[in-house]
Amino acid sequence: MPRETALELESLTVRYGGTVAVDGLDLRLRRGETVALLGPNGAGKSTVVNAVLGLVPSSGRISVLGRDPREAVRAGCVGAMLQHGGLPGEARVGEVLALVRRSFGRAGRAIAWPLDDLVATAGIDGLLDRPVEALSGGQRQRVLLAVALAGEPPLLLLDEPTSAMDVAGRRAFWTTMRALADRGTTVVFATHHLEEADAVADRVVVVAGGRVVADGPAAAVKAGIGGRTVAFTAAPGTPLHDLPGTTALDRAGDRVVLSTDDVEATLQALLARGTRLADLEVHGASLEDAVLSLTATRTTTGATR
Amino acid sequence: MNPLFAFQLRRVGRNRQFLFFTVLMPALFTVFFTKVFGGFAGDAADRQAYATTYMVSMMAYGALGAALGATIRVSFDRASGWLRQLRITPVPTSSVVAVDVAVGMLLTLPGLVVVAAVGRFVNGVDLPPLTWAALVAVLWLGSGAFVALGLLVGHALDEKAAGGAIGILGTILAALGGLWVPVQLFPEALRAVAHTLPSYWYAELGRDVAAGGAPAPLAVLALAGFAAAFALLAAAVAQRRALHAVAG
Repeated sequence: MPRETALELESLTVRYGGTVAVDGLDLRLRRGETVALLGPNGAGKSTVVNAVLGLVPSSGRISVLGRDPREAVRAGCVGAMLQHGGLPGEARVGEVLALVRRSFGRAGRAIAWPLDDLVATAGIDGLLDRPVEALSGGQRQRVLLAVALAGEPPLLLLDEPTSAMDVAGRRAFWTTMRALADRGTTVVFATHHLEEADAVADRVVVVAGGRVVADGPAAAVKAGIGGRTVAFTAAPGTPLHDLPGTTALDRAGDRVVLSTDDVEATLQALLARGTRLADLEVHGASLEDAVLSLTATRTTTGATR
Repeated sequence: MNPLFAFQLRRVGRNRQFLFFTVLMPALFTVFFTKVFGGFAGDAADRQAYATTYMVSMMAYGALGAALGATIRVSFDRASGWLRQLRITPVPTSSVVAVDVAVGMLLTLPGLVVVAAVGRFVNGVDLPPLTWAALVAVLWLGSGAFVALGLLVGHALDEKAAGGAIGILGTILAALGGLWVPVQLFPEALRAVAHTLPSYWYAELGRDVAAGGAPAPLAVLALAGFAAAFALLAAAVAQRRALHAVAG
């Protein structure tokens, strides 16, 4: 059902000179989804966002609510916070917002959203008369959010949106995003803050080497790795070789960390040997482990390709 | 009025330096230099000729400074990320460019008019009404070459270099183009340099009109050539910039 699709990418490829930043990426997002694009620096997250906005030339197919990127932007269907976006000097916040709101009005998108409400949602009360130069980093970021939201776009693209925010600012920001998603806005954000992806997104898309290496709810991405760690304190010299299920062994002083894909077998073998397991901890894979593991594999295969 | 046009105009209008260098300074120069050097003139006719020439030079100086100052700023908007932000609003890129050109053209007018008024009312330059109108109109149209140059420089240079270029380029064009000291007083070699600069031909248009004639075809052709070259280069550079806008 095309009306349900907010964004569709088919073998999207972006090259910068000789470098392939995005390599035949496929992705389909439904309306109202909150999606995290997760991956290390240079994975291609920002490039995907920029391609969807028509800011970089790309090959493959991009459909933003059924339109091509330029058309979608012109029609006011997309709002975005860019990593390298900014505000003009020698202007006041209110003037910038008025200009952007009017531009959306001209695009035929009725600005049903009263200014007061926009100001409250973006958290920029009291900043409208302020010169852009007088904003703090966090305030600037919230003004950029207001600019992105000004046309009440059905698709919101956010590239590292909380990078300049403090903890409280981040929390408020994500509460706002959840509220927008509940109203039907499709929210796509690129981040390397794994906790944010885990806490906010319905769906996590892990990107590495310009491709999607994992895609699904955060829990599923984590489960896909399946690995767990067993950690304990043991005297140096304690025999730890040939333990069933163990995939890796790390020792830092007395602290031992075993990675295993069969916690039970590993623990039983340790107990059978009579090993003392002081300060025993067993962890499931975090989203961070999952991403590291996925992107590491990707890098290896990428290198041999 | 187009909202982006009003917005950009208000931003430049906030810049006191801009008004100082493009309106006040040329106006003060016009008075000062005419009073100082006009004193050496033998008779009233000589003085009148000197006052007229110097006024035309200062009109050209103010206008080219304003055109460059208003347009090179595009570099600051690129550095701050505002240009990119604007590209993801429904404002079409063509309007953004059109507004840059329109703002540049409009802002050359205050300097032209104020210096002309100073010439007329302070220095007593006496021209027929139609000549006054033609003088302002020709110099206004001609300033398009410097709007194009400013956009070229603004797109080509990064923020810091562009900030310096506003002053340096204006000074070079004015000094070597014979706007401060007439080229007749230049040594031979330097005069040849002046003839390669758009500022010389620009002032030449004004001098021809002030003398009561039409601008010489050579001057018109030279300035139009510069304008076209600058505009084409600016478009090419801006396009390249767009492709390399995002490296992340």
